[in-house]
Amino acid sequence: MKALRLLSAIAGRLALCATLLQPAASQADTYEVKLPPELATAPRMCDYAPCKDVIPGATTFSERKGQPWYVEAYKDEAGQKKLLGYVMLSTDITDIPAYSGKPVVTLIGMDTAGKFTGVKILKHSEPILLLGIPESALVKFNNQYLGKFVGDNIEIGKSRPEENLIGLDAITGATVTVIAQNQVMMTSGSEVAKQVGILKPVNRPQARFPVSTATPSWADLVADGSVQRLTVKPEEVGLKSDGRPYMDLWFGYLNQPTIGHAILGKDGYDSLMGRLKEGEHAIFIVANNSMDSFKGSGFVRGGLYDRVQVRQDKDGFTFRDLDYVNLWGISAAGAPAFNESAIFIIRGKSFSAAYPWKLVFLGNKIDKETAAKTFANFDREYWLADKYLEGGRPVVVKPDPTWLKVWKDKVVEIIAFTALLLVIAAAYASRDKLVRRADRKNKWPVNAFKYTGWVLSIGFVGFYAMAQPSITQVLTWFHSLLFQWKWELFLSDPLIFIFWIFIIVTVFVWGRGLFCGWLCPFGSLSELLYKIGQAVGLKRFQFHLPQALHDKLKWVKYAVFFGLLAVSFFSMGLAEQLAEVEPFKTTFLVGLFNRSWPYTLFAGGLLGLSIFTERPFCKYLCPLGAALAMPTTFRWFGLKRKDECTSCKACAKGCGSLAIDTKGNIDQRECMLCLDCMVLYYDDHACPPLAQERKRRDKAGQPLTPINGKGYFIPIHPAPANTKKEGAAA
Amino acid sequence: MTIADKNELRHPPYDQASGFGWLLAELRDHLWPWAGKGQPARKAIQGAGFALALAATVAWVMAALGHLSAGAIIGWWFGWSVFEVLVRLDAKPYVKEGPWWGHLYRRASVMDMLCYVSFKNLLIGAALFIGLKSAGILQL
Ligand code: SF4
Ligand code: SF4
Repeated sequence: MKALRLLSAIAGRLALCATLLQPAASQADTYEVKLPPELATAPRMCDYAPCKDVIPGATTFSERKGQPWYVEAYKDEAGQKKLLGYVMLSTDITDIPAYSGKPVVTLIGMDTAGKFTGVKILKHSEPILLLGIPESALVKFNNQYLGKFVGDNIEIGKSRPEENLIGLDAITGATVTVIAQNQVMMTSGSEVAKQVGILKPVNRPQARFPVSTATPSWADLVADGSVQRLTVKPEEVGLKSDGRPYMDLWFGYLNQPTIGHAILGKDGYDSLMGRLKEGEHAIFIVANNSMDSFKGSGFVRGGLYDRVQVRQDKDGFTFRDLDYVNLWGISAAGAPAFNESAIFIIRGKSFSAAYPWKLVFLGNKIDKETAAKTFANFDREYWLADKYLEGGRPVVVKPDPTWLKVWKDKVVEIIAFTALLLVIAAAYASRDKLVRRADRKNKWPVNAFKYTGWVLSIGFVGFYAMAQPSITQVLTWFHSLLFQWKWELFLSDPLIFIFWIFIIVTVFVWGRGLFCGWLCPFGSLSELLYKIGQAVGLKRFQFHLPQALHDKLKWVKYAVFFGLLAVSFFSMGLAEQLAEVEPFKTTFLVGLFNRSWPYTLFAGGLLGLSIFTERPFCKYLCPLGAALAMPTTFRWFGLKRKDECTSCKACAKGCGSLAIDTKGNIDQRECMLCLDCMVLYYDDHACPPLAQERKRRDKAGQPLTPINGKGYFIPIHPAPANTKKEGAAA
Repeated sequence: MTIADKNELRHPPYDQASGFGWLLAELRDHLWPWAGKGQPARKAIQGAGFALALAATVAWVMAALGHLSAGAIIGWWFGWSVFEVLVRLDAKPYVKEGPWWGHLYRRASVMDMLCYVSFKNLLIGAALFIGLKSAGILQL
């Protein structure tokens, strides 16, 4: 037996070494690595995880224990085992997802005083850490926890000693990841700290109930929230539907006399209350027609109901077999049928019915791709209505959701960015006025806005705020649209969120040109380089590809886009890696010189080429440009053209985007809305039909009337004979 | 395309209609790729199109009955969309030019049609997909 255990331990260690060490040479140490399946379930967790790394000095470890799980770490001291601290696996405790929607599997060590001793990422699925920010940034981030006390108020951002708040430095560009990671650290740490007595439970004032003679029906109880329903769909746990919900629970709080009487009847209520000691509470749960049991079988083996839990703020309450009482029936009129039922007794002193609490169903989600089980929680809030509490509900300040915190933190950037977008959109909306003020030789009335847009989008949006939109976001939507839409995911990056709303609206109104031509950080940078090249005397080296070749090559970007889309259906991870065809991360997120040479060469090469030919990446490669070009087919308001444009080539010659065809039509999918051709359109020295008319009138001694909206001089009509009279009459 | 060459403009048979009648005709045009009155089209493409559309409809119905997986229905919808491009290029080779509420149409290039069909079918597909999913029928 011993030998067997030893063997399995060795095998486990080997498997672990293989998984943890093998990709160590590459950049992506723990990105989507395959962890040994035993890690999630084996009692001897530390045989499969590098526990010693997170609790220095420890030599032996206990089996998994507690609810949720942790292990004890010991060191040998003069032949005695001395408790050094605790090690926990984040996914045993919480399923808080990071940016990718999947949790970062983290091994956490904590000493007996509740101070963090080590943090190690075993697996993550954050593409940003794989492709943009080096993983070492996350390691550095995690190291900030070392020595900090689990009961402290630790948050991302600046420390605020007056509020007792310890701030941690975020990783720029990965805010969501670190906010999630902080929640994981603090939740995991405090769950274990509470179990082992390092953190004392919060004492909440107990509820007092008003006397009432009402006997509410089931429908009344549902309406006032005294019974709540928690439903889990089969697809939420990765199962096939058979028409029934996976879990369909009704639950409620029984100590409140009106509710208790309604559910249990007077005798039932009195007898239950007779069993409860001071500070104990009872809840009921019934389930009907569910695919699974909420009691599970855990209580048979370990005496613990491992599928349901009550949570109040940070305190969790679990139920053992001694906390269970049979529920035979529900008295309230109109109650639904049920085939599983229970009364559970909450024995934690800190629970108070005056405050909101949650019933948590602890499920497992089976991953379709890997068939691996991951932990998934489902909960439903419960809070007695005012009328059931003496003095009504107490005031409860709920913490802001993560995304809201981010928005509040970035309020200045958000305002500045929104202002930038509005000003550029307003400038473009007034293009007719601007281009009339400009002419072929002086395009400043237009360019002042455009160049300002460029500079701000490169410096502020790109380098400072790292809000360069990317094709990966489009792929994420496709998937979210089909699989699971989570607003939080999109809201967690405010600038990108606002940018996308702007992009979607303007693509339909004017086409992709306003974003691509005026505001895309990378696009702006590459065209700015071209303009700088022009200004510093490199003009003679600058070139456009021949139109015929361009017309072929422009399709490449669509192929890149569809290729990425197709790959993303098979593997989002791979698609994210292939999305490196966008040099955005190298340029703005990580910095040209902080990446390995192939990336630097690619991005640097494209930018270098941009000095000599206008926007090569935008024209031929950019999958985002392609994705935006497609709906641009239906933009509402296009640019203007005259009949003469069919034979005149003046605009086409000047179009840096090569977007004007031989018939004078503008291909809106390629057009960057630079407005050069619109300047020409009204320029009576540059637009051939206008220039001709100007010369003709000059010769004939006729006045030059203003140019109308169609791009022609307003025709001169002989004044009608009776104008004067009419005028006089008027 | 921002049109200089007026030869590119097109008039579908219903472009004289107005108000509600026009809206209905537009809706029909989006949902019915085959030729209508006054729209010459090749029989073979139309016929094959009908057959494939029927198959795609059966696929959606099967998905609705819970007999088809999400991946399969995406595949079917994609396949049909490719063919719809061909059917439309043959029977209704125009797309809207300018605002959606306007009455201007232009000759559709292959790319125009591809963009039109993929965008329209993405919306239809997403609506059906989300419908089936929220009804708990389709599994992901
Ligand atoms: S084509 Fe791509 S890189 Fe160029 S401006 Fe558009 S989104 Fe930016
Ligand atoms: S010159 Fe005209 S057609 Fe060409 S990119 Fe500029 S606005 Fe578009």
